[in-house]
Amino acid sequence: MKKPIRKLAVVAGGASAAFALAVSPASAVPSTVWTVSPAPSPVGVSATNSGNIVLSVNGIAMTCTKSAATASMSSATGNPATVASISAISFGASGAPCTSVLGNVTTVATTPWTIVAQDYTAATGVTKGYVGNVDAKVTVGACVFRVTGKASGTYTNSTGKLSVNSLAGELTVVSSTGCGAAVPVGAKPTFKGDYLVKKTGTTVIPTIVGSNP
Amino acid sequence: MRGPGPTTRSPRVRARGATVAAFVALAPLLPASAVAVGTLKVDTALPYVCTLPSGQQPATVRITAAFPERAAVGEEIRPTDVTTTVELPAGAVADLTALGAATVRAETRLAVGVVQREQRVEAAWSGTSQPVAVPAEGPLVLTTTGDVPSLTTDVPGDLALVAGAFAVGLAPSTADGAATAPASLSVTCAPGPDAGERTRLLTLPVGADAPTTEPSPPPTSPSAPSPSAPSSGRPTPSLPPDRTTPAKPETTNGTSGAPEGPRVGRRADGGTASPAPAARPAAPPCLTGNPTPMSLSAYVTGYSNVRKQKGASLLPVSCMLIEQGLSGEPPHPAPPGEMHFFVPSTGNLSYQGRKQTPPFTSTFLSFDFQPVTATMVLEQAGPITIEALLRIFLSDFSNSTETVVRAPLVLRVLDVKVNGVELDVGPSCRTAQPLTSTDPDPARHPGKHLVLLGKGRLVNGTDAVGYLLSSGGPLTGETTIPAFEGCGAGGEDLDRLLTASISGPGNYVKQMQGQSCAVDPNAWNPLECTEDSQPLVVPKPER
Repeated sequence: MKKPIRKLAVVAGGASAAFALAVSPASAVPSTVWTVSPAPSPVGVSATNSGNIVLSVNGIAMTCTKSAATASMSSATGNPATVASISAISFGASGAPCTSVLGNVTTVATTPWTIVAQDYTAATGVTKGYVGNVDAKVTVGACVFRVTGKASGTYTNSTGKLSVNSLAGELTVVSSTGCGAAVPVGAKPTFKGDYLVKKTGTTVIPTIVGSNP
Repeated sequence: MRGPGPTTRSPRVRARGATVAAFVALAPLLPASAVAVGTLKVDTALPYVCTLPSGQQPATVRITAAFPERAAVGEEIRPTDVTTTVELPAGAVADLTALGAATVRAETRLAVGVVQREQRVEAAWSGTSQPVAVPAEGPLVLTTTGDVPSLTTDVPGDLALVAGAFAVGLAPSTADGAATAPASLSVTCAPGPDAGERTRLLTLPVGADAPTTEPSPPPTSPSAPSPSAPSSGRPTPSLPPDRTTPAKPETTNGTSGAPEGPRVGRRADGGTASPAPAARPAAPPCLTGNPTPMSLSAYVTGYSNVRKQKGASLLPVSCMLIEQGLSGEPPHPAPPGEMHFFVPSTGNLSYQGRKQTPPFTSTFLSFDFQPVTATMVLEQAGPITIEALLRIFLSDFSNSTETVVRAPLVLRVLDVKVNGVELDVGPSCRTAQPLTSTDPDPARHPGKHLVLLGKGRLVNGTDAVGYLLSSGGPLTGETTIPAFEGCGAGGEDLDRLLTASISGPGNYVKQMQGQSCAVDPNAWNPLECTEDSQPLVVPKPER
């Protein structure tokens, strides 16, 4: 845990049962050893969206009903630690493009993106971290812009759900043409959505476990 | 996928025979005769992961192609004899069988990264298959051929081609040839984690000592980038996977730098020889003459009622060339709780170089008993404006857009037949004024014009629906048809007859705009544009 004291304070405000679990020793120190299962590492995984993925810039929402990714998850050491490399991620599909009130949205990701682990709660099996190295070109009509940065998220071992919910300022529009005031350079988009992760070709849910031996 | 020149037709013919063949039977069908000495042959089977309606499944994608062994700087590199064969697992077959499919036709698109030094652009290799029988069991093998863009580079050094995302559109049919419901399935695939380095299809040396079969401009410097080139840092690698027009590295503020490194050309046959993978329905040409980065083109068609005739005229598929505006401040302040952006664009109809619709013919039962057939056009009397107001509701961040199209259009009557007998209306029979509508903002938009309104919205993270700025949708309005003038020949004045028959208020208009094509190479999209940047989507009229 990167900031254990703050974390504890937040948890202390919650339900007492959660409190008792959250202060267990396993989560009291930052994890430096990250173990990805099933073995052997690296494990090839695939992710598809669960619910819609929404990129929002200046209040203009861009909705994707289909999104999928392939990644390689690996055990790692350190904190933060890169536990996955996303080799491909698609937004929208043939016949189901991403949409916005500006028109259909085409998003092309420049990969690899990464998944970086920062904090593990043993009681819940939830890893906090972020999707890093985000780099995507977004086109809507004649408006073309590029987004880079990272997007905070969590990964839950019990469900295999990667929940991306970027914080304001993590992503930035670094170039923009034909968009005008709606999407200026320097705008701070947000990226929200859930993905379900499985070992490729199977129904096996991979897990990430942080520890500090 | 099809190569250029004399071999244009043959791979497709070969593929037709191969469609139901087993995967392993493909090799003998490859056009060995087209492969010259000094040819690099690619034949790679790669593990992919495909997302099917039933979930993710592993699949095998086999890519074959032939390339010159090496190329000179500036020399066009033409991939030939390109085929893509995807072996979809039994799960895909189950998805198709569940729809009652007996046969299936496939369209594929393979994103191919073209990498040289630090530069990367992407090409799209598109292909179509002939109909293939859905097997009772076992995998489904689909072989597609299509059009492949050529490559050039201004820089010496190894050029690598890397296979990327692979999309398959499936059009299943039932045993009696009818489309299934839904009529299509889309499958998106990405290289599996096991593919690793094997996604690198080939490495092609490009150098000054390579054979130059045609003159090619030498590089200004043996190494790139030159010191005087803009320092763009890392070139923007996020070019669309499907662009087929020259790519330029971008600087981080989005402006283009000097051309250097690999580029993807237009497809080898110039886009004229074949039906596109999804053949576009008949439509008049819609080419943008002097494109800008803001140029869009779109087709429009629909009905306009003629209330007095108790009927409707079908306005034919018409080409609209649009210059999209930049979003900015709205003309009126936003109410509390909303944030507004305003996008003012302009448009022009385009038909054979004139700002008008194609001619269209309507037949009415005039005065309830006389069949009258009129051939007409709508001509622009001034520029068409397209103003979109984007509204962001801060309460839930839902969005809406209201687009007002203002078109000053004169209705010109070219030809009239009454009960089959020609009625000479003369060469200048037209409405004395443009069609008019009640304008929602007359202070800003004086003058006579047809007003059409399009409404779109996006609620709480769902898909946007309705009329959208660049993606089209229904535009509706009501117009008054003014009195006619200049009608008649040989001293016979037909103005009053036409005015009495046609002119008047309360004529409902509903036009459907199709998905626009962003003409600029940086925004060009193969799902939205033809190879020569005309709109791919031809809308259908709706009542």
